This record gives sequence, structure tokens and C-alpha cells, in this order.
Amino acid sequence: MPLTLLSFLLFFIKAFVVVMFAMNVAVVLTWVDRRQGAMIQDRIGPNRAVAWIPTTVAQALAVLPALAVAAGVFFVVLKLEPPPEVRGQRAMLFSQLGILFTWLTGVVIAGRVQNRGVLSSFDAWIYSLGDPRRIFFAGLFAHFVALFVGLTLNDSAFGEQVRDIGYGGGAGLLIFSILAGAGYAAFSIRNEPRIGLRLAGLLHPAADGLKTIFKEDFIPPEADKFLHSLAPFISFFPALVVMAVIPFGDTLCFGLKDGQLSTLMSFVPRDGVCVEGAVKLQVVDLDVGLLYFFALAGTGIVGAALAGWRSNNKYSLLGGVRAASQMVSYEVTMGLTLVGAVMVYGSLRVDKMIEWQQQHAWGIFVQPAAFFLFFTASVAESKRIPFDIPEGESEIVAGYFTEYAGMKFAMFFFAEYIAVVTSAGLMSAIFLGGWDLPFLYRDGLHVAIGDTVLFDQLLPHVLVIVVGALGFVLKTLTLCWLQLMIRWTLPRFRYDQLMRLGWRKLLPASLGNVLATGLIVLAIASAGPGVGKFMDLLADYTKALVALAGIGGFIAFVVFLVKPVHKRKTLSSSSAQFAAAAGGTRSVRMGA
Amino acid sequence: MKNETQPLGPKKVTGVAVVRPQRSASVQTYIPEIAKGLGITMKHFFQNTKEMVLGQRNDPVLEGIEDGINCISYPEQKRPYPARFRGVHRLTQRDDGSPRCVACLCCSTACPAQCIHIEAGEYPEGDPRRGYERFPQRFVIDELRCIFCGFCVEACPCDAIRMDTGVHAAPYDSREQFIFEKDVLMGFPGRDGSHLTANPRHEPGESSHPGLDREKH
Repeated sequence: MPLTLLSFLLFFIKAFVVVMFAMNVAVVLTWVDRRQGAMIQDRIGPNRAVAWIPTTVAQALAVLPALAVAAGVFFVVLKLEPPPEVRGQRAMLFSQLGILFTWLTGVVIAGRVQNRGVLSSFDAWIYSLGDPRRIFFAGLFAHFVALFVGLTLNDSAFGEQVRDIGYGGGAGLLIFSILAGAGYAAFSIRNEPRIGLRLAGLLHPAADGLKTIFKEDFIPPEADKFLHSLAPFISFFPALVVMAVIPFGDTLCFGLKDGQLSTLMSFVPRDGVCVEGAVKLQVVDLDVGLLYFFALAGTGIVGAALAGWRSNNKYSLLGGVRAASQMVSYEVTMGLTLVGAVMVYGSLRVDKMIEWQQQHAWGIFVQPAAFFLFFTASVAESKRIPFDIPEGESEIVAGYFTEYAGMKFAMFFFAEYIAVVTSAGLMSAIFLGGWDLPFLYRDGLHVAIGDTVLFDQLLPHVLVIVVGALGFVLKTLTLCWLQLMIRWTLPRFRYDQLMRLGWRKLLPASLGNVLATGLIVLAIASAGPGVGKFMDLLADYTKALVALAGIGGFIAFVVFLVKPVHKRKTLSSSSAQFAAAAGGTRSVRMGA
Repeated sequence: MKNETQPLGPKKVTGVAVVRPQRSASVQTYIPEIAKGLGITMKHFFQNTKEMVLGQRNDPVLEGIEDGINCISYPEQKRPYPARFRGVHRLTQRDDGSPRCVACLCCSTACPAQCIHIEAGEYPEGDPRRGYERFPQRFVIDELRCIFCGFCVEACPCDAIRMDTGVHAAPYDSREQFIFEKDVLMGFPGRDGSHLTANPRHEPGESSHPGLDREKH
């Protein structure tokens, strides 16, 4: 595409989205690290940061978005008459959404009433329905009934009528439940003098960020002022720009009008990306791809080493030296593990790798050892527990950022979390298929094992892209979470253990992985077409495995959520008896 | 004792050798153990997050025996004090609302911190209580000096001072605010909400009054 104003604009939009994604996820990760890290130790964690808003504003915040959504649904139903061939689908969609929102609202309100106690006659009515799980099971039943009715309908006049009822009734239920939920929320806070906005503790990182901006920017008198100030930027910048080569969605196809991009195409063919009017959801489309990642990840070392060296502090220097040697060591492993993946995929471009994974199988099945090694090495590369030797506070105060305060310290801190996000993004692109979801192709959903087609459904282009991008975000977040999980579980290694693990264990293992991959790739390439067909069948099975695991995981999660809890009460102490007489100590709410 | 029985050279080791820990292959490779540890972390993570979000977390006092989050978010949540907790003092009242205190100065004498100050007053001429007992014109407790030992309660012969309010002294911002005068002390109810006490009072002149009856003698 020639350099035009539009391409510049697109570049800036994409860069903005990616930077915002990385930074916001990093902020959320700092919250997750503190709040959920407390959860695993049976603590509550920081949740005290609060913004007080007047009750009327809070009521408006609850009601106005609901009104907007309801008006949108109303507009869609009233004005956008669906074509006859998708009328059944639209009716199914609206009735299912209506049922979903109805029982969801009911369960949330019933749960709140159970925890807080009955305050009004409506509360009393919903309390008389009993356990909120009953509402959930009733909703589930309604879902299945609607599905059954929708699937068994024929094209008779009666069927048309039922379809119309499902269409209008579902939309009406949707509008009603959204408005009722928001109205109930606004009604139940009417007697509060003010409402504390806590966002589950998410205001804490915001407050911390604000604090670090206003803190004194201390530079030791003997330190090199210029390099001391430069180091956090050198650390921060590469961590952020690595995301540029990672595509966060499939290629968008626009229609062309007089050589200019016009509207988005509604349906695209399965094979072959559109030649003209293609917009890649990737900030820069580099041929070198992975090499760019390694070049920038290597630059990050300079920041840590520079900070340690120019702080004029022996502890900082030790930390800087440790950071440099650790990151250099583990970068070797990182590079070598990906050689195997590059051999399989046949390209250095991350988007080509994802396409290969879509056509065959996810990288984690093709290169399981590489995934494991790369994951370990990238945790070490981001200098986090259990590999946080450069900042080992039990030995060298705070390592290379001992002499940093305020926002410069926060930039080192932040760079670490952004490195977590970017490495998770890269891993999800290389090993977990990026935006690829099992059986979801460019034109729709095709569930097929080998030559047996089980399910076939064309889907709109924009839906496929959005679902794929959401899948990429979900995979990235899961990998971030896994890295935090490791931080909460493992103790720190000793320095010699770290070096031994890097050079004596991971490096030979990655070399072995390259060797084995090369042999297998050669063997499959030189074998007959039968083997290739068998491999394709295996690839389909891995997709089915991922899909089944996803569905099974979702069902297990729902079962886990609705599983009843039984708690034993003890009234052995007199304080417990006082608490029981007062109706328990749990119900005292935070706020007001 | 002579060293005849022991031969020269290194002492013979007696006792049972400590068995070396049998570290299985799964422990030595470290990875299955990491997986196990992650499993435990995840169990706590999911269970506690679910209970926190769905409002199913333990009542920290009543259900503290269960696993899970048992933290108290003080001061929004408070653990009730046990029945014998010595809180802020109160002066108990008679049925007519006057203090039961007879200004005998037992409490201020017993007080190791010397935080009680009482100015006794005489009932007017003609009052049946005149000559039997006095009343506190001022009754002041410096709650900042008080060490909450409860000796005053023990010393009181009239059950007039008690520490059963169930509240601890509030953190004020000046010393003057910790000086509790008589009306403040009489304003606190007990744990049961009453300003009286369960112990009956025997007025002078009643047959149950344990003291001397001056008219008879």
C-alpha cells in the first residue's frame, strides 16, 4: 500500500491501540499482583483507595448507560428489519440474550439481597424465591427450551409466528432486564449520603501512579545525571515497542472504491487474504519479525546495566551486573528455542506463523519443549520471581534501581510488567495460535476432522475478526496470569543456581530441541504423502482437543461457581455470641 | 573418671544414622513439584476470589474455623469484644437517674494510675440519705492515664463504676477530650443497653439495707 494519509492514520491508530493495551494490562497486572496475590494467602489485599461520588451522580452512572443500551436495542429491533433468511437466527439471538440478561440480573439482585438483608418489599419478594441458584437453574432451563423450540421450528405460518414472538419478546426481555437491573441499583442506593467508587481496588494502582509522579525525583550527587536519567527510558521503551510486530487480529478486508478503502467486506472467502484493501492488525509489518523482538529485548539489558553502573552505588552496580549477565544468558536460550519454531513455520514473520498454526496445529503441540523452555526463559528475561536476582532485596537492597525514586523508579517497575505483557503476547502468537481459535476460519466456523465435516456455518467477516482478537487478548491475559501465578508460588533462586539452570540445563535442552525438530521436519518432508495426511489428521485432533478443553473448562468453571458452600459456625467465644446477636460481622459494608 | 575404657583413636559413633531423604525423580527434576505448588496456589486463588466476589466469604468471627479469607477490614468491620472486655468506664445509675456512686473514694484510692478524681458532696439537711452516704459532685476520669486494669471496678462497694460498655476509648486529637466528666461517664450504657446494673440497691431505711439504722440505735 502506498504511503498515504490514510495509511499514516491507520498506523497511528494501531500503535495507539497496542500501546494502550500493553500499558493498561500492565497497570491491571500490578493490581492483580497485589490483590490476587493476597487472595492466595487468604488475605484481602489493598482495596482501600476510594473516590467518593454524590449519590445522584452514581445513580446517573447506573441508569444512563443502561438507557443508552436499551435505546440501541430498541432501535435495532424497530428500524433494522432483518432479511427473511436470517430472521430465525436473529430471533434465536435475541431470545437467548433476553433470557441470559434476565436471569443474570435476577441472580445478582438475589445474591445482593442475601448478603445485605431485605430492605424493601421487592427485596422480600426476591428473598422468598430462595437460593439465587434456583434463578440460575430456571434460566438454564429457559435457554434450553428456547434452543429446542428454535431448532424444531419449521417454515409454517405457526413457526413464523413463534419466531416473531421470540424476536420481539426476546428483545423486550433484554430491554426490560437491563433497565430493571440499573433501576434497582439506582433505587437501592437512594438513601446513601455518598457512594464510594472502589472498582475492586483498581484505584490503588492509579493512586500509586499519581503519587510517584509527585514524589521527589532524587538523583545521588555523585551519580551521572544524564545517564542516570536516561536508564529508565532505555529500560521502558524496548519493552513497550516489542508489541509492534505482534498481530492482534486477522487481516481486515475492505472493499475498494476508486482505489480508496471503503466499507468493510461483509463476507470473505476462506482461503487467500484479499490482495487489495487489506489492513493488517499489526503496527509494523516487518520481514524480520522475530529478529526485531530479539534486538529490542536485548536493548532492555542496557537500561538495567546503565542504571546500576551510573548510580554510583555498589549495590546498584552489583544489581546491574547481575541483570546484564542474567539477561544475556537467558536470551541465548530464548533465541535458540525459537529456532525450532522458525524451522517448522518456515518464516520469521509472526503473522505467517499464526497462519501456519491456523492451517495446521498450534505451536504448543508442534513444539511443546520449546514452549516450556521459552516460557521459563522469558520469565527470567523479565527479571521476575523466581529469577529476580538483580533486585534481590535480601542481598543487595533493591539492586540496580536502589538509587531511583518517584516516576523513574515506577518506570523500571512498569517496564517489568510491560515485559510480562509483551512476552505473553509473543508466546500466545507463536505457541498458542495468536488470534486463531479452533475451527474458526476466515469465512466462518468449520468443524471438520480429516474429511468428516461435523458442522459448517458461515459467519460475517467482522464477527470472525472480533472473536479472533478477543481470543488473542484472552490467551495473552492467561499467560500473564500464569507468570504471576509462578511469582506467587516459587521462592527465589540463588545466583549460581540461576546460572547453572540457564547454561547447563536450558541451553542444552534448547539445542536438543533444535536437533530433534530438524530431524523430524526432514523425516516428514521426505516421507510420502500418506504421512502428511496423517499429520493433518493429528492437527485436526489437536484442534478438537483445544475446543473440547475450552468447553470443558467453561462448564467446570460454571459448576465451580454454583457449587454450594457450607460453612461451620462456632459460637464458643462470647465475642462470637455478641457477633451472632448483631447478625454477623460480615455484613458491615465498606464505605459511606 | 579415668579414660581407660575408651581406646585411642576416633570415638566410635553410637546411635542410629539419619536416613537420607529419599528424593524421588519427580522431586529432583523439580517440574512436577512446581506443578503441584501451582495447583495449590490456584486452588486458593479460585476459591478465595470466588467467595470474595460472590459475597460468600467467611464471617471472620462466626465462621473463622473454615478455610478462606478470615480478615477483618478494620475499622469498617469490628470483632465484638468478649463479655469480660474492660472498655470505657461508665457510672451506673439508680432508678431515679442519679449516680449510684456514694463518693467513698475507694476507686480513686485503688487506682494505680491515679486517674480518678472525685469531689464528694453532702446531701442537704432533711434528706434521708444525709449522714448515710454522700454523692459525687465531680467524678472525673482521665482516660489517657487509665491503664484499664479494672481495680476501680473491683474496689467499688456499690457497683457504681463498671467497665462493661464494650467500647474502647476513642482516639481523640487533644488531651482535654480524654477527660471524661460525670455526665459523660453516666451517659454510656452497658453492653445490654441499660444504664442500671443487675445488682439490687438497698436504700437507707429499707429493711434490706445492710448498714446501721441510726434511728434504732
